[in-house]
Amino acid sequence: MEHAMTAASHPASYLWLIPFLPLFGFLINGLSGKRLKNNAVVDTIALGSVGVGFLLTVYYFIQLIGLPAEGRSLHQDLWTWFDVGGARVLGGLSTYKIQWAYKFDVLSACMALLVTGAGFLIHLFSTGYMAEERNDGRYYRFMAYLNLFVFSMLNLVLGANIMMMFLGWEGVGLCSYLLIGFYFDKESAAIAGKKAFVTNRIGDFGFMIGFFLIFQVFGSLDYNTLMGSVREVVNLPLITLYGHTASPTWWFNLIGCCLFVGAMGKSAQIPLYVWLPDAMAGPTPVSALIHAATMVTSGLYMITRLNFIYVSAPVALAVVLAFGSLTAFVAATMGLAQYDIKKVLAYSTVSQLGFMFMGMGAGAFTAGMFHVFTHAFFKASLFLGSGAVIAACHHEQDMRNMGGLKKVMPITAMSMILATFAIAGIFPFSGFFSKDEILWKVFEGWYAHGHYTGPVLNLVAWILGMLGAFCTAFYMTRLIAMTFYGEYRGGGNDPHGLTVQSEAHGHDDHGHDAHGHAAPGHHVPVHHENHVHELDKPHNHRTDDPEDHDIVPGHVPHEVSWRMWLPVAILAGLAVVGGFLNYPESLHRILPLAPSELFTKWLEPLLYQVAPAHHGEHVPPAMEYGLMAWATFIWAPGAMLLAWWMYKIDPSWSRPKAFVAKFPNLYRWVNAKYYVDEFYEAAIIEPLKRFSAQLWSFDTWVVDGVVNGVARVTLIWASLMNWADEYLVDGTIDLIEYIVQETSQVFRGLQSGRVQNYAFVMFIGFLVFAFWKFLA
Amino acid sequence: MVNLNAVLLISFLLFSIGIAGVLIRRNALVILMCVELMLNAANLNFIAFARHSGSVSGQAFALLIMGFAAAEVAVGLALVVALYRKRDTVQVDDINLLKG
Repeated sequence: MEHAMTAASHPASYLWLIPFLPLFGFLINGLSGKRLKNNAVVDTIALGSVGVGFLLTVYYFIQLIGLPAEGRSLHQDLWTWFDVGGARVLGGLSTYKIQWAYKFDVLSACMALLVTGAGFLIHLFSTGYMAEERNDGRYYRFMAYLNLFVFSMLNLVLGANIMMMFLGWEGVGLCSYLLIGFYFDKESAAIAGKKAFVTNRIGDFGFMIGFFLIFQVFGSLDYNTLMGSVREVVNLPLITLYGHTASPTWWFNLIGCCLFVGAMGKSAQIPLYVWLPDAMAGPTPVSALIHAATMVTSGLYMITRLNFIYVSAPVALAVVLAFGSLTAFVAATMGLAQYDIKKVLAYSTVSQLGFMFMGMGAGAFTAGMFHVFTHAFFKASLFLGSGAVIAACHHEQDMRNMGGLKKVMPITAMSMILATFAIAGIFPFSGFFSKDEILWKVFEGWYAHGHYTGPVLNLVAWILGMLGAFCTAFYMTRLIAMTFYGEYRGGGNDPHGLTVQSEAHGHDDHGHDAHGHAAPGHHVPVHHENHVHELDKPHNHRTDDPEDHDIVPGHVPHEVSWRMWLPVAILAGLAVVGGFLNYPESLHRILPLAPSELFTKWLEPLLYQVAPAHHGEHVPPAMEYGLMAWATFIWAPGAMLLAWWMYKIDPSWSRPKAFVAKFPNLYRWVNAKYYVDEFYEAAIIEPLKRFSAQLWSFDTWVVDGVVNGVARVTLIWASLMNWADEYLVDGTIDLIEYIVQETSQVFRGLQSGRVQNYAFVMFIGFLVFAFWKFLA
Repeated sequence: MVNLNAVLLISFLLFSIGIAGVLIRRNALVILMCVELMLNAANLNFIAFARHSGSVSGQAFALLIMGFAAAEVAVGLALVVALYRKRDTVQVDDINLLKG
C-alpha cells in the first residue's frame, strides 16, 4: 500500500483543540477547583471540555469520511518538540526533529471517537457516582484527573510520532496511578496505585527499548516516515547495531518483542496483568474509563499502529499470540470464582484484552482492533453498570450480598444483561462479531484453507480462546444471576445464609482475606439484631466518609439517577449494535443485514501489506460457518445456561457448593487466582527487597565507610597541617617579627626628637671627618 | 698689622663658643644668638684671609653673610614666636615630637 504512505495529508487547524481542551479543563479545574465552591462549574468545565472535544472529533471524522480512502489523514504540526539531530542512527547521523504534531487518520479517528465519546459518558456517570465526594472538596480533583487522563490518552492516539505516543503512554500511566490512588488515605488504594505504576513502568521499559531501536534502525519516529521506509529497511541484507549483525527480520522480532513488553504492562497481559484487578480500588468510573475502555487498549493501538513492524516479525507475532491466548484463558478462569463484582469484570477485562492480542498475534490487526471497540462498549457499560449497582447497594461490592436488583433498577439491569450477551458472543450482539472474527483468524492460521498445515501454536491458541470464551459466558451469566436475580440478600435479608461481612470498598485481598480460602456459605451471616435500631432511620444517600463502606443495615437498594443509568444504557445500546460495523463477509453472503466489513475496509490504508493484497474470490469454507454456529448457538449459550442452572434455578447455590465440596483444591486455587500475586511477592518482590537490603548494607558499610574513612584521613591530615601552619609557618614569621622588633628597640633610642642631639652627632661626625682628613 | 694666626685663634674661640652654645643651651633664643656667634666667627675668618691675601672678595662675602644673618635672625625669631604661641615654651627640651 505504497500510496497510503505517500498520499498527501490534509492540514487541520483545530485538531490541537481535541487533546488540549481536556488539558485546559484539567488546568482550570485542577488549579482553581479548590476555590470554586460550585460543583456545577467544575462539572461544566470537565464535561464541556471533553464534550466539545467529542464534537470536534465527530466533525473531523465526518471530514475524513469525505476523503478518498488512501488520503484519509489529517494532520497538524504545532512546533518542534525537540531536535535529535546528530544522533547516530543506522546509515549515518540523524537530522530528525521530533514534532509536536497530531495526526488524525483512520485509526486515530476511531480511537479519538472512543476516548472522547466513552470518556464523556464516563464523566457524566462520575457526576452521579461521586455524589459523596461532591461535598467534601475532593470532587474537583477527581474531575481534573479524569480530564488529564483524557488529554494523555488523546495524545497517545492522536500523536503523529512514537514520542507523542510515549508522552501519552506515560501520561495515562500517571493518571491511572493518581486515579487508582484517589482514596489515597486508604492504604489498599495507595498500594494498588503504586502497584499499577510500578508494573506499568516495567512494561514502559520494554516499550522504550523498542522505540529506541526503531529510532536506531529507521532514524525517525514519524509514523508516515516509518511506513514509507519500512519496505526499504526490510530488504536490507543485514543490519548492524551495537556491534551485532543480523537480518532485518531478527531486529524486527526484537523490536516487536520489546514493544510487546510495553503492551503487556499497559494492556495487562500475563505476566504483568496483576495491577489491573488491584486497580479496582479506584472509583468505579475510573475502572470503566481507564481499565476497560481506553488505557488498556493503548497496547493494542500501539501494535496496530506499528503493524508494519509486526508484519515482518513472525516471532514477535507468535509471542503476542502465545501470551494473548494464555491470558485470555487464564484470566477468564480467574473470573469464575470471584465474588467482588468489580474483580470479576477486572479479570474479564484482562481476558478480553488477551483475546485482542490473540487477534493481533494471528496477524488480524483489524479483528483485534474491532474487539477493542466492541469491548469498550460492553465493558464500559458493564463497569458503569456495576458502579450503579454498587452505588445502589450503598457501596457494597460483594455479589453475595446483592441479588434481586432487577426489580429495583430495571434500566441498569437491562443494559447490563444486553452487554453480557454481547461479551458472551451471542449473535447478533457486537461481541459475537469481534470475538468470532478473532477466533476464526487464529483458527485459520492453522487450518490454512483446509490443509491443516499451519503452526500448532494457532491450534493451541484457538483451543485456549474457545475455553476462555466459555468461561467468559459462564462468569458473566453468574454475575448477572447473582446480582440481578433471586432475592435481595442485603439489609439483613439472607434466607440461604449466603451473605458475608462486607469488606471495605475496593478492598484488595491478595488472596489473604477470609473468603479467599473459604467456600461460599461458610461465612458468618450478618447479625440481624445489630440492625434493628437502624431500621427506623430515614434513609438518604449517604454523604459521609466513603471509607466506611460497611453494610448499611436495613437499607434498600434503589435505582440510580439518570446521570448514571443513561451512560450505561447508551453504551449497552452501542454494544448491541456495534458489531454490525464489521459485519463479516462470509455472513454477508448468506444474510446481508449490514454492509460487509466496514471497519476492516476503513482500516485498510493503515495496514502494511507484505505482498499486494489478492482479492481473489475464495468461497468461505463451510468450516467457518460451522465454527460460527457452534460458538454462538451451542458453546456460549451452553456456558450461560450452565451458570443459569447453577446460580439462578437454585437460589441457595447448592450446586456450586457441591462442586466446591468435590474439588476444594481447584476452587481454592482459582479463587486465589493461582496465587500469582503471592508468587510474585515471594519470587520477585521478596528477593528484590532482600537484595535491596544487601545493597543497603553495602552502601552503609562499604560506600559510607569509604566516605567516612576519607573524611577521617582528611581530618587527621588537616590537623597535621594545622600544627605545621601554627608552629612552622607562623613561628618563622613570628621569629622574624621578633628580631625586627628587638633590633628596632635598640635603634629607637637614637631618635630622641631633640634637634640638639642631632646637631651634636653631626658636629662629632664633622670633627671625626676633619681629624681623619687632618691626620691623613 | 695684626698677626693672622691671632685673628684665626679668636675666630676659632668665637666659633667654639657658638657651637657649644648651640649644643648645650636649651633656650631657643640663646641658640639663635649662638648661631650668630658662629656666623660672625666665619665672617672674621673671611676678613682675616682677605686682608692676608689682599683680595676684596672675602670682604664682599662678609657683607653678604651679614645680610644673610639678618634675614636668618628675622626668620628664626619669627619661628620662635610662632613656637611660643603654639606650645607656650621656647625650651627645646620640651619640643621632641620627632622622638622615635
